[in-house]
Amino acid sequence: MKNNTLVSFEGVVKRFGDFLAVQRMDFEIAKGEFLAIMGSSGCGKTTTLRMLAGLEAPSEGVIRLSGKPINDLPTWSRDTPMVWQSLALFPFLNVIENVEFALKMRGIGKTERRRRAEQWLDRMQITEFASRNISQLSGGQRQRVALARSLVVEPEILLLDEPLSALDAALKVRMQSVLKNLQRETGITFVYVTHSQSEAFSMADRVVIMSRGKIEQIGTPQEIYRTPRTRFVAGFLGSSNMFTGKVTGIDGGVVTLDTPSGALRLGATDLPGPVAVGQTATLTVLDTKTHLATRAPAGNVNALPVRMIGEEFIGATATIYLEASDGHEIRVQKSHEDLANLPLQIGQELVAHWPLEDGHLVMEA
Amino acid sequence: MRRSLTLYGLTFSLPLLIWQLLFFVFPLVFLVALSFWTVKNFRMQADLDTVNWATMYGRSVFWQAYGTTLAMASAASVLVSILAFPCSYAIAFKLSETARRWAIFLMVIPFFTSYLVRVYSWQIFLSDAGIINVMLGWIGLGPFGLLNTVGATIVGYLTLTYPLVVLLQLFSLVFIDRTLIEAAHNLRCGRLRTVFAVIIPSARVGLVIAALFAFILSFGDFVSPIYLGGGDPTTLSILITDTTKSGQQWPRAAVIALTMIATLLFVAFVAVRFAYKGRSK
Amino acid sequence: MSDSSANMNRSRLVDLSLKIYIILGFAFVFAPIAASFVFSFNSDRFPSIPLGHFSLEWYEAVASDPFAWQGLRNTLFVGVIVGIVSTGLGFGAAYTDFRYRFFGKQIYLALALLPPTIPVVILGLAMLAYLSRINLSGNSLSVIIAHVVICAPFAMAIIRLRLSQMDPDLEAAAWNLGASEWAAMRHVIIPFTKPAILGALFITMAVSFDEFAIAWFVSGLNETLPVKVLGFLQGQVSPRINAIGTFVFVTSMTLVILAQILLTGRSAKVRPVADEQE
Repeated sequence: MKNNTLVSFEGVVKRFGDFLAVQRMDFEIAKGEFLAIMGSSGCGKTTTLRMLAGLEAPSEGVIRLSGKPINDLPTWSRDTPMVWQSLALFPFLNVIENVEFALKMRGIGKTERRRRAEQWLDRMQITEFASRNISQLSGGQRQRVALARSLVVEPEILLLDEPLSALDAALKVRMQSVLKNLQRETGITFVYVTHSQSEAFSMADRVVIMSRGKIEQIGTPQEIYRTPRTRFVAGFLGSSNMFTGKVTGIDGGVVTLDTPSGALRLGATDLPGPVAVGQTATLTVLDTKTHLATRAPAGNVNALPVRMIGEEFIGATATIYLEASDGHEIRVQKSHEDLANLPLQIGQELVAHWPLEDGHLVMEA
Repeated sequence: MRRSLTLYGLTFSLPLLIWQLLFFVFPLVFLVALSFWTVKNFRMQADLDTVNWATMYGRSVFWQAYGTTLAMASAASVLVSILAFPCSYAIAFKLSETARRWAIFLMVIPFFTSYLVRVYSWQIFLSDAGIINVMLGWIGLGPFGLLNTVGATIVGYLTLTYPLVVLLQLFSLVFIDRTLIEAAHNLRCGRLRTVFAVIIPSARVGLVIAALFAFILSFGDFVSPIYLGGGDPTTLSILITDTTKSGQQWPRAAVIALTMIATLLFVAFVAVRFAYKGRSK
Repeated sequence: MSDSSANMNRSRLVDLSLKIYIILGFAFVFAPIAASFVFSFNSDRFPSIPLGHFSLEWYEAVASDPFAWQGLRNTLFVGVIVGIVSTGLGFGAAYTDFRYRFFGKQIYLALALLPPTIPVVILGLAMLAYLSRINLSGNSLSVIIAHVVICAPFAMAIIRLRLSQMDPDLEAAAWNLGASEWAAMRHVIIPFTKPAILGALFITMAVSFDEFAIAWFVSGLNETLPVKVLGFLQGQVSPRINAIGTFVFVTSMTLVILAQILLTGRSAKVRPVADEQE
């Protein structure tokens, strides 16, 4: 265990009856990092968070907090405050009473309680609402109350379970920067569960991607975005073109893949593991790194003859939808200038191409 | 988490369980035992004798009372269902939100008045010199013997069950998807046909449960048959009170009571089966 | 909601007759209640129309009857105890249903909710026979026991309904903030369900107040007021019953309206404000 590790999951499994919610999970959370756990609903991300909070007991394995196993510690004896998806603010208490709650439960005296709660109200800029009812607050204000209520005990770690999901898009973006700044200033470890790629990638230092109770990939947002390690991750992020086929050759630092859309090559410098001829594998290439031309460019590139089937404009970028010879769909995302010199009509024959080093290999699981 | 029962959990779960076991289940179980006891010289003795069952089941009085009670309770539950339906239908579909809330509030009020007092009040209406006969007299009719008839008993049953049946029907009607009705109209289903083809089938569970409750209440009621029906014909509940009073014949009363419970359970089972027939849980 | 889209498919005649039908239904339901009220202030010994003159004699007759006062005291005493005990038991059962899943829960819930569906005459018979075996019959305690069996399900239903309006994360949030189970009960569950607890208290008191049949079977000398009413009916019928009935009605309705105010008062508070873009 590294000495800056705050939390470690060691072989943690969670079953609900016959349902395997979390399969053998091993990972660590470092002190002071902003970790996002991301996945679609039912992937086990919330269960993972709840095990850390002590709201679910692991069926197998050990969870350690600062080195000490906490499996048997009831939730009220752990300092793992959580911000709930529903916020779970107490409707019968006013704002400051909500914030004081955790201090009251720790037996801290009334004046000290009030003083520390006021500090946090001030910090979250909600002092003026101190004696308001929860029902009188807007969504954004409630969010701040929920944060203050959890942070008032100045914990080492804060758990957040999709806290922004109820907000509208503009407020969501605002709260993301509030959260990121708060985390940076306090140095508290944030574990943030979300199904939203933009939330995870814009705030987190590291992202854990889960699917069906399993960790698919852990890494910085850049790593994951550039080199998705599994087919699932590439598909989940939805920003790569994928070609599945058989490995037909590995020589001279180049792997050749025979796919229904054509033979493709990629550099062998960045392989996820040992690759053998005859194996099934998937090549991924970001849709922003896939280029279009009217004829195949010279040089060491992959080039596929394609036919344009649609286009979509969002702001400054355009997405062009194309079809390979076997009907496989390919997307290309470019700015309008990049596309200016191309004859873009439905049915137009073009060539999609990318340099060998922009392709990544994912072994078929 | 922590599904296992803890001291904390038991503190909340156990008191009611113990209370209902001690004072609800045990009395009913005791009733079963009691039905096998014997009475000698006006004293009950613990025994295991089927004589009470044989005696009661061998008496034509018992079977007459059973038939009467069954027929009257069935009639009352069918009648109240039919009479209540237009009312709950109208409250559900023809009133504004506010008016509907008031109607529900008004229908709840009778539950907090003494049923006995209401039955006594019906005597004022139905007696020979009562309100109805006086009014009929003004137009040269009557007087009619309205009190101490089966009809008067049924009026009593309706007093007991009408508000409850309206409320139960209402709660199943308000949850019907309005677009179903519009879709039916759109498919050229007429107003009245929509009621029978769409609304009643959609609300079937609630309607059957309401009728079941009307049956249960009427079947066990003894106030109305005594004070409005004049004790004639004898119903099972009157038979129970009479049997209890006459010579300590508690074991025989227990036989009647158990027969009633068995009947109610059977009717409830059939009704629930019918209500949920063809529905997945 | 009077859906305007359906207006064109409505017949005014049908609507009007249906509304008249509603009124007839209420007339049937309220006729005996109203008559009882009116005749409690009427001088005639045998109530009918035309009305006699206004009189308080039946109230005076009841008020001067020491047994009626005794009955009232018993009724109130029993009502208060029954209210407290059945609300306590009902709360425990409602919380159990809300929080726990366990083997045999269906049976537990059946036990908690079934008693009011058993005819009172049967329940009365069973209880009297049973309680006399364990030497508990013939006093106020036996009435209390029997009434609690009937009333606890009502209390449970009312409190369970309130718990189902609670965000299920609320209790876990309290634990997460350092509250033990007992502290969360005291600081979260009870404050949240307080209106329903008080509502259940008043409703069960009202039910006990009205419940005469079991009392008739079970109690001996310590008659409650409704038992007294039954006594009147069995003996000579007297308009005094109207006076007592009206009194009981007014008392029960006061309790019910109090409960209603408590149950709806909170939820009618200020709606949340919209998200302002600060």
